[in-house]
Amino acid sequence: MIDNTRRSRKHGARAAVISIFVFLLIWQAATTFTSLGILMPSPLISLSAFFKSFIVPIGPYPIFIHIYWSLVRVVPFYIVGAIAGIILGITMGWYKPVAAIFRPIFEILRPIPPIAWIPIAIVWFGIGEGSKWFLIFLAAFMNVTINSFAGARSTDPVLVGCSKMLGASDWQIFTTVVLPGSVPYIFAGLQVALSSSWATIVAAEMIRSSEGVGWIIISSQETNNSVNTLVGVVAIGIVGFILAVIMREVEAVLVKWTKRDI
Amino acid sequence: MDEARHMSKSIIVAQGISKTFTNKRGSTKVIENINLEVRENEFLCLVGPGQCGKTTAVNVLSGLEPASTGTVKINGKTITRPGPDRGFVFQSTALYPWLTVMGNVEYGPKVRGIKKSERREKAQYYINLVGLEGFEHSYPNQLSGGMQQRVGIARAYCNEPVVLFMDQPFGALDAQTRYLMQEEIIRIWETAKRTIVFVTNNIEEAIYLADRIVLLTNTPTQIKKEYKIDFPRPRDYTDPDFLALREEITNEMDKTL
Amino acid sequence: MQKNKTLLYLILSIVSLALFIGIWYYFTAVLQIVSPKTLPSPVKVFTTFIDKFTNPNPDGATLLVHALSSLKITLTGYLTAIVIGVPLGIAMAWYPKVDLYVRPIFDLLKPIPGVAWVPLMIIMLGIGFASKVTVIFISAIVPVLLNSYSGIKQTRDVHIWVARTFGASDWQMLTRIAIPTSLPYVMTGIRVALGAAWTTIVAAELIASTEGLGFMIQQSRGIYRPDIIIVGMVTIGIIGSVLGLLLMLIESVLVKGRSKV
Ligand SMILES: Nc1ncnc2c1ncn2[C@@H]1O[C@H](COP(=O)(O)OP(=O)(O)OP(=O)(O)O)[C@@H](O)[C@H]1O
Ligand SMILES: [Mg+2]
Repeated sequence: MIDNTRRSRKHGARAAVISIFVFLLIWQAATTFTSLGILMPSPLISLSAFFKSFIVPIGPYPIFIHIYWSLVRVVPFYIVGAIAGIILGITMGWYKPVAAIFRPIFEILRPIPPIAWIPIAIVWFGIGEGSKWFLIFLAAFMNVTINSFAGARSTDPVLVGCSKMLGASDWQIFTTVVLPGSVPYIFAGLQVALSSSWATIVAAEMIRSSEGVGWIIISSQETNNSVNTLVGVVAIGIVGFILAVIMREVEAVLVKWTKRDI
Repeated sequence: MDEARHMSKSIIVAQGISKTFTNKRGSTKVIENINLEVRENEFLCLVGPGQCGKTTAVNVLSGLEPASTGTVKINGKTITRPGPDRGFVFQSTALYPWLTVMGNVEYGPKVRGIKKSERREKAQYYINLVGLEGFEHSYPNQLSGGMQQRVGIARAYCNEPVVLFMDQPFGALDAQTRYLMQEEIIRIWETAKRTIVFVTNNIEEAIYLADRIVLLTNTPTQIKKEYKIDFPRPRDYTDPDFLALREEITNEMDKTL
Repeated sequence: MQKNKTLLYLILSIVSLALFIGIWYYFTAVLQIVSPKTLPSPVKVFTTFIDKFTNPNPDGATLLVHALSSLKITLTGYLTAIVIGVPLGIAMAWYPKVDLYVRPIFDLLKPIPGVAWVPLMIIMLGIGFASKVTVIFISAIVPVLLNSYSGIKQTRDVHIWVARTFGASDWQMLTRIAIPTSLPYVMTGIRVALGAAWTTIVAAELIASTEGLGFMIQQSRGIYRPDIIIVGMVTIGIIGSVLGLLLMLIESVLVKGRSKV
C-alpha cells in the first residue's frame, strides 16, 4: 500500500506525465469546444506564448529580464533579512533577557502578513525600489526569526551539560552547540521565508512597478490579455520552484550530518 | 593486588548528598543522604533498580546538577558545577551530531584552547584506543550504537579527566555488543588508568567490571549495601563464585516499583 | 531566585514595550519631527481605531463591515478547501492510483503563490466575490491536501501489520489507524492554510476590490491616512491571531476527545 521502491518511482514518473498530459488535454478540449475558450486561453496557445515571451518582449522586456528584475529585488534583501533574523532569533532563543526585551514587540508584529505592509511601506519609502526592499527584508526577517528562535529553544540540555563538562565557556556553548543545533530549524525558516518573499514581491509589483513578474500579470489583466497573464503565472511558479530547489540543495550541502548513509 | 593499583587516596568524597526536585505539582525526593568515597583508579559500579535515581545520583556526583544538601569533593576541591577535571559518558550517547568522530573527540581539548596538532594527536590516540581507527570522518548517525558509545568514551577520555562518570553507557546495546563493550572498557581502563564511576542496572555487568559495587535502593535512593569484588580479571561470567555473588546481589536488590 | 528572575524578565518586557510606544509618541506627538502623513502618533492611531468602528469615511465602510467582508470571503474559500482537500489528500495517500494521477497536478500548483492567481481570476470571474473565493480556495487547498497526504503516509507499517494480523479490513485500517495517526499533520495543513488564506485575501483586496481590510488600507494610502493603514494592519493581525487561536482550541478539543476513547 505504501511503498517507495525504485520501480514504483519510475511508475510514478510515467503516471505524472500521463496525468499532466490528460490535464492539458481536458483543458485544451474545454477551451476549444466550449465557451470557456472565451475566458481562458488554451494550453497550446499559452505554452507557445510562454516560449515566445523569451524573444518577443512583454511590455518593455522579454520575460527573463522581468524575472531578473524580480530576483534583483528579492535576493539581496532576503539575505540581509535572513541574517538579521538568524541573529535575533538565536539570541532570543538562548538568552532569556534578550527574549524578554524583544519578544513582546515581535509578537505584536508577527501576525501581520508582510503583504499587509505594502501600503505603509509605500508611504514610508516611496513607490520605487525602497519600499520593495523593505518588504522583502520584513518577509525574510520575520520567518527566519521565528524559526531560529524555535531552534535555539530546542537545544538539547544534555548536549549543553556535556559541553560544560568538557570545559566549554558560555560563549563556546552558544557557538558550538546552540548555533549548529538550530541549523535545521534555520533552514526550515529560510525555505518558508523564500516563498513568502517571492509572494510578497509578486504582490508588491502588482501594486506598483513598471517591470517584474508581478507587473506582467497585472498589466496583462488590465488589457484583458489572459494569455500573458497565464504566462506570468507559469513564470512565477517555475522561479518559485527553482528557488525552493536551490535552497534545498544548499541545505543538503551544508547540513551533511542529518543524512544517514548506512 | 590493591597495592599494585595504588588504591590508597580518596578521589571522590561525597557527604550527606540528597536531591529533591521541586516543580508545580510538588516536590519529590530522589536521593536521600548518600555518603560515598571513591579511591584513586578504582572501578566503582553504582547498581540500582530502574528509575531509582541512578542518573540523578551520578549527575550530582559529577556536578552536572547541584545537590540539594551535602557536598561532593573531588581531589579535595568542593565541586559546584561541571568541569573538565571530570569526564561523563551519557546514557543517551549525547554526541554532537554535526561533528565527525574526530570533531567529537577533540571537542574538549579544543574548547580548552589546546593547539590543533597536539589535540589531533591526542584525539587520534583515543580514537585508536577505543578501536575506531578509520572512522575519524564519519558522522555519529552513520555509526552503530556500539560505535557511538565508543566515541562517547573516547571523547570523555580525551580531556584526560581525573574521574570518569558513565551513566548506563551500554544500556541501549544488544547483548552481544554489550559483552564486547564490557571487555573493551576493562581493556581501556587497564591501558589508561582512571577512576571510574559506572552506573548500571545490570548486576552481571557490574560484577564483571567493578572493584566495588554500591547497591542502591528504590526512590528516594540510599546506599543499601556494598560489595568488594576481587575476582581476578578477565572475569568469567560462568565461574561458580561469580554466579553465587550474582544470585546474592539479585536477591538483595529492590524490585523496580 | 527563579521567581526573582521571572519577575525581572516581566519587568524588562513591560519596559521595552513602554519604551517602544514612548519613543514613537515622543517623536510624533511631542517633537513632531515626523510628519503625521508619514507616521501618526500612537494616540492618533488609537482614536482612529475607535472612530473607525462607527465612521464609514473616508473609504466607504466601517472597520467591522470591512473585516466581515474579508472574513466572509476567506472563510468560504478556506472551508471549501478543507472539505475537499482533506478527503482528497487522504484518498491520494491511501489509494495509489489516485496518488499517481492527482498528485502531479498539485506538485505543479504548489510553487505558485496565491496572489499570482488574482489577475487571471479577475479576467475570468470579475473582481467580485467569486474570483476572490476561488483564489482563497486555491491557496488554501494546496497545503491542506499535501499535509493530509503526508500524514497518511506517516502511518507506520507496523500499525498496519498489527491491524492486519487482527483481520482488519482495508477500510477499517484507514479509518481506525491511518486517519487518527495523520490527524496532527492534517491539523498542521489546516493551520498553514489559514495563514495562506488570510494573507491572500489581504493581497487580493489590495490589488482589486471595493471592500475589505486590504481595500481599506490601500485606499488610505492614496489619501495619506497612515493612521487608518496602521489600524487596518493591526486589525488584520488581530483577526489572524484570533482565528489561529480558535483553530488551536478546536485542535485541543479534538485531540482530547480522542485520548478519552
Ligand atoms: N528534573 C526532574 N524533575 C522531577 N523529577 C525528576 C527529574 N529528574 C528525574 N526525576 C525523577 O527522579 C526519579 C529518578 O530518575 P533517574 O533518571 O535518576 O532514575 P534512573 O535510575 O537513572 O532511571 P533509569 O533506570 O531509567 O535510567 C524518576 O522518578 C524521575 O521521574
Ligand atoms: Mg538513568
